Amino acid sequence: MSTPAPSTPALPIANAVLRILIVLNWLMGAGILALLFVIPNAQWILAEFRLSPSPDADRVILGLRAVAVLGLVGIPLNYVVLKRLLAIVLTVREGDPFTAANAHRLKDIAWALLGLQLLSITIGAIGKAISSPAHPVHLNAGFSISGWLAVILTFLLARVFAEGTLMREDLEGTV
Amino acid sequence: MAIAVKLDDLLHDRRMTLTDLAERVGMTLANLSILKTGKARAIRFSTLEAICGALSCQPGDLLRFESDQAKRARKTTI
Repeated sequence: MSTPAPSTPALPIANAVLRILIVLNWLMGAGILALLFVIPNAQWILAEFRLSPSPDADRVILGLRAVAVLGLVGIPLNYVVLKRLLAIVLTVREGDPFTAANAHRLKDIAWALLGLQLLSITIGAIGKAISSPAHPVHLNAGFSISGWLAVILTFLLARVFAEGTLMREDLEGTV
Repeated sequence: MAIAVKLDDLLHDRRMTLTDLAERVGMTLANLSILKTGKARAIRFSTLEAICGALSCQPGDLLRFESDQAKRARKTTI
């Protein structure tokens, strides 16, 4: 019953962008790893925040290292989102997106987005904890209404896909 | 599925093939085959009407409720 989707530029563009983002995600992971274990990050942080060695500076270093570790945890979650999305795009190109597999993929994406939102809140909290008037730390993280809305929408969409797939199976089995 | 389709028996009684029936009711052989082999998940009233019309039978002659327990018992006696 599958007919390839009519040719629109959106699908090839989405395909290419997702593949690029997958590579960038791994590169970001490699960058964070290098920052954590290869580059002398303590000196770099001290220089960047104009800090002199002190217990306060140690707190900032520890906090930023924790943020980097959390960023590393986000890499596989990003990968799950991008890889599953790419698989969904491929099924759209093949003309058969309403499958149980896509419902599962959307559910995986929803869980990964939930994980990323929790990471974001944790990173935001760390940023606030290590920030001081003398050395403000601005991290682009924390609670985001749109982020949580995306999580809820994706869970709903996964459910809609699962129901739609069942309905289609019923329709296909109707004589 | 607890609903058994007795299309095979009806066709046999009327000395008719599935292809003949497909031509008479205007359905594809593939769809009738799905019905005959019990793989269908649902049957439209229009399909039931067409088949009953072509085979001069009642819907009850075509379908039979068979509980899973009865089905298992029948299988063991065969």
